[in-house]
Amino acid sequence: MILLPGAKLDDSLKGMYGTYTDKSGTYASTISLLKQDRIVPLKGTYVPIVGDVVIGVVTDEKIFGYEVNLNSPYTGIVSNKVCREQLYLGDVVSFKIISVDEVKAASLAEPRKLYGGELIEVESVKIPRIIGKNASMLNTIREKTKSDIFVGKNGRVYLKNGNTTLAINTINFICKESHTSGLTDRVIALLNSEKPEEKIN
Amino acid sequence: MKITKDQLLVNGKRNDGRSPDDLRSFKVTAGVLKKAKGSAMVEWGKNKVLVGIYGPGEVFPKHLTNYTKALVNVRYSMAPFCGAEEHGRSGPNRRAIEIGKVAKHVFENIILTRDFPRTQIDIYIEILQSDGGTRVAGITAASVALADAGIPCKDLVQGVSAGKVNDTVLVDLDKWEDNLGEGDCPVVVSLRSNEILLFQLDEVWTKQQVLQGFEKIFNAAKVLRQVQEESLKENYKEG
Repeated sequence: MILLPGAKLDDSLKGMYGTYTDKSGTYASTISLLKQDRIVPLKGTYVPIVGDVVIGVVTDEKIFGYEVNLNSPYTGIVSNKVCREQLYLGDVVSFKIISVDEVKAASLAEPRKLYGGELIEVESVKIPRIIGKNASMLNTIREKTKSDIFVGKNGRVYLKNGNTTLAINTINFICKESHTSGLTDRVIALLNSEKPEEKIN
Repeated sequence: MKITKDQLLVNGKRNDGRSPDDLRSFKVTAGVLKKAKGSAMVEWGKNKVLVGIYGPGEVFPKHLTNYTKALVNVRYSMAPFCGAEEHGRSGPNRRAIEIGKVAKHVFENIILTRDFPRTQIDIYIEILQSDGGTRVAGITAASVALADAGIPCKDLVQGVSAGKVNDTVLVDLDKWEDNLGEGDCPVVVSLRSNEILLFQLDEVWTKQQVLQGFEKIFNAAKVLRQVQEESLKENYKEG
């Protein structure tokens, strides 16, 4: 069932992602899918969370380190001390978020440069669907396209080697159809078709 | 076709054949702009309104940054070809700035701005064709566009205008009733909590007439809400 802002979920006060509470109960705040008491948002904005592995693009170099775009309204900061090699503007680097302060500025660590592949951006709320249960969906795509795929929680996917065109088409297809059921079978059918009929945007 | 004041309400029928409680045809399409975060197009009678949402993003100019909540910016603009003779020039004017301001206050109370400190949410309301009641049409469309953008909101809001002709309270005024009638009262409501988020009023109304107007507006808002919900669910149909 699709929930829209203002839909009542419960008379008691419950704190869940995609909801808000007032005196009279708990209400949905974003367009989302209700799946057995679980709320899956269909659209959203990425906000840094501690522990997330994200893909960033270096946007500025400062005295103490680098400023990184995280596909989010909030930028990340990485210190020189944790960088083993020099980073340059435009570098695509994977990071782990180690801390987020009260105004949502993120500190990053464990930089790993990603070279020579392709970077695509999708809705960050669709990332769990791309990964699947125990990474089943992601492993299927990796296996069929023979590409190396690295997924960041912030809605960026990095692909290298193998049939990246098919992999990108498949990922865009998953994002488009993420709210439907029985998606895995259709994804496998798409991966098995020799030539994807058209590029899915 | 020019209409005179005597033709506005004849034997309980309005100049376009509606009764005082009837709305014009109302249609919303969500997600019409692919590059915007969220968007919606409203066709309400002869009104045609396009809304695009951008953000949350970096605040510009930077000194306006609020460290506790997001800034909401609304730009209301009438296209030069929208058909309202007196607003036939593009660019912001006194009227557009005022409507942008009141719409901003509506959305500051609806968006959960505290979820996004240090950011700015931009709402662009473009009137492509106008036939009276464009501010309420714009706000109704913007509410759908915000939901389409996935920006957390308390509720979908609906705007409806009420007016007066020969002391009869009408709902959803068109251009002629707006220009020649005895009063205009645009109202924006949230049906979840029965809150009134915008209330503007022209000319002299009795308390009875205002209350009668509110009743008609709340009934009309229920109809609009259903159309808004259907338009958003349309994009996520199975198969």
